[in-house]
Amino acid sequence: MKKIPRMTVAVLLLALLLSMVGCGASDGKTHLSFQIWDTNQRDGMKAMCDAYTAQHPDVVIDVQVVSWSEYWTKLEAAAESNTMPDIFWMHTNQLLYYADFGMLADVTDLYDDVESGYYQNHFSDISLGNVSGSDGHYYGVPKDKDIGVLVYNKEMFDAAGVAYPDDDWTWDDLTDASQKIYDATGNYGYLAYLDDQLGYWSYVYQNGGYILTADRTACGFNEPGGKEAMEFYIGMQKENWCPDQNFFTQNGAGATFWSERGAMFMEGSWSLLGALRDHPEMTGKWDIAKLPKSPNPVSTPESLDKDGRACMSNGLCYATGAHGKNLETVKDVLKYFGTEEAQLIQGQSGAAIPAYLGTEESWRVAFEQYGNPINVDCIFEQFDYAIQVPYNSASPRWKSQVLDVLTQIYAGNQEVASGLDKMTETVNTETAKKLAGN
Amino acid sequence: MNKKMSAAERREENWGWFMVAPTIIGLFVLNIWPFIQTIYTSFCEHLGFGRYKFIGLQNYIDMFSTPEFWKATWNTVWFCFLTVPVGMVLALFVAMLLNTKVKFKGGFRTIFFLPLVCAPAAVAMVWQVIFNGDSGILNQMLGTHIQWITNSKTAMVAVAIVSVWSSVGYDAVLLLAGLQNIPKTLYEANSIDGAGKIRQFFTITLPMISPSLFSVLIMRLMSSMKVYDLIYMMSDDTNPAMADMQSLMYLFYRSSFVAGDRGYGSAIVIWTVCLILLVTLIQFWGQKKWVTYDI
Repeated sequence: MKKIPRMTVAVLLLALLLSMVGCGASDGKTHLSFQIWDTNQRDGMKAMCDAYTAQHPDVVIDVQVVSWSEYWTKLEAAAESNTMPDIFWMHTNQLLYYADFGMLADVTDLYDDVESGYYQNHFSDISLGNVSGSDGHYYGVPKDKDIGVLVYNKEMFDAAGVAYPDDDWTWDDLTDASQKIYDATGNYGYLAYLDDQLGYWSYVYQNGGYILTADRTACGFNEPGGKEAMEFYIGMQKENWCPDQNFFTQNGAGATFWSERGAMFMEGSWSLLGALRDHPEMTGKWDIAKLPKSPNPVSTPESLDKDGRACMSNGLCYATGAHGKNLETVKDVLKYFGTEEAQLIQGQSGAAIPAYLGTEESWRVAFEQYGNPINVDCIFEQFDYAIQVPYNSASPRWKSQVLDVLTQIYAGNQEVASGLDKMTETVNTETAKKLAGN
Repeated sequence: MNKKMSAAERREENWGWFMVAPTIIGLFVLNIWPFIQTIYTSFCEHLGFGRYKFIGLQNYIDMFSTPEFWKATWNTVWFCFLTVPVGMVLALFVAMLLNTKVKFKGGFRTIFFLPLVCAPAAVAMVWQVIFNGDSGILNQMLGTHIQWITNSKTAMVAVAIVSVWSSVGYDAVLLLAGLQNIPKTLYEANSIDGAGKIRQFFTITLPMISPSLFSVLIMRLMSSMKVYDLIYMMSDDTNPAMADMQSLMYLFYRSSFVAGDRGYGSAIVIWTVCLILLVTLIQFWGQKKWVTYDI
């Protein structure tokens, strides 16, 4: 065995040490990381950060995009080891889980020195619902809001001689138009695919039903309004003008619409700019409308009296970890993100519809580069009767189980009525378990 | 024997330990310790963010009383039945063809090995297009209208086809190595004795490559029992046939990472490990009957 010269070992060790030291930044500035999941919004987020750092030259913010599929696994692992990014996007679906475990910094009093009731004055109830923990405190600064719209192909409507969807459209008009378009052009009508936020949720609420009660403790899938809506929504796939779930799983509703094989589908407001960019050949051929309303909503004490109209709305927020190293600086950044100025930058960049009341319409600017080809008005009008997406702290547990029952219903292995009973029971059991545990 | 080691010997031994230390530490930190943790986790309820509450056998009781779990176990076994025998026979067939004197042998070997080099995600995507019920090329060739991926009867078959397709090349290369180690003299002696090709196959080829076959069989069975990625990529949460193509590892993924129920997920993993252990033990016992290590 040859001896390794001491000198070599020493040099190697020194190199190792130096490389470790090299990792720390030493420009005297505070470096913050900002984690998001949507590449399309990176530029908008950067613009907002640049506006902040222009006023605070001692802060550097690095925007990092992590794909949605690994975002939550990574964030949870980071939370466990206390290495969360300084600022990150939070989703309604996950906020309660993180907040209830004390992982998120409480930002309720962030604006106390600016204005009392800042949050209530400048954000909608839905936005505030999306950032509230179970204790009623705010754990994030509202970022944006979204809504579902009916996207339709004008050429197919023209070919079938059917009038475009208008504000008074009901479910009956939707099915009538679908039948006529199918008969006249051979293309599919409304693409009723299995989805919650962009599918059955809206129908349930339009019909006077509910997924969760207002206090989010009980489920209403099998209440009369919900039941009727689910039967209608699932039943659409039995019509000749609507493909079945086999088709949607393999082809996707969006791809079917954009390849001009279907006349209508429900899409989220967040996808519209991307659609204009990705399908330039379709520009001018399509438009958007409000979701059709229920013709005969069931009236119950829990149902929201909205004349058969309802539309699910969700919103993200900016949050930070409760035990972050740069908490004071980060809070100042978050505070800026919730100002009118920052939200306007976000809107004008086309990233998303800002949550700050009064700045929503800044988002319209983004459509100018395409020549304003679609009726963006209907998006803003729908916010008048929007409903917060139904999540509670047990959502991660019941969501996949509910989906399992739904796929069984679509597969024909389960009756709708008994399936809804099963779904209701699942949600109630998981919610009760969660409530008992806390 | 109680011989004291000399200083030089001891130093050499220390160096030996030092050299294998990275591997041993890596094995312990990355494999053994997580495995012990998984066993412990399977007796716990995951409260969130790495906090666990010991609940004894509750996860196992829940698991064994869930039809979904038994369905997933059956799906996994069914997948093994679909892939292992067919895959082995095909691999052996391909290996034997590649071992004969054909033109462009190198080219053929490359082609059969190619699936292994392709990114699994790309493979799954291409096959999704092939299997598409409305515009897929497979239905057009067969003149059928089968919804391969979303029909509960064919979904697992479709996944099995892709699995066999992507593994045959690799298995064939392993078997080919075994085939090439068979001395030519055996065949010569055999044909002088008047044996035909078929008899040669059963009396010489098969016994001689049985060790290779055995290792391929074990590997193939283990990977089939752990099938997850193909199902994840070829299917979708909204697939009506999901219940019929959900393997144990897929159920584990959904429990642990979608529903966040890591305790229950760990119980599924332990069950799968036990199954694999059992199958492997049976095989090691069974190999005495058919694997020949020396002639």
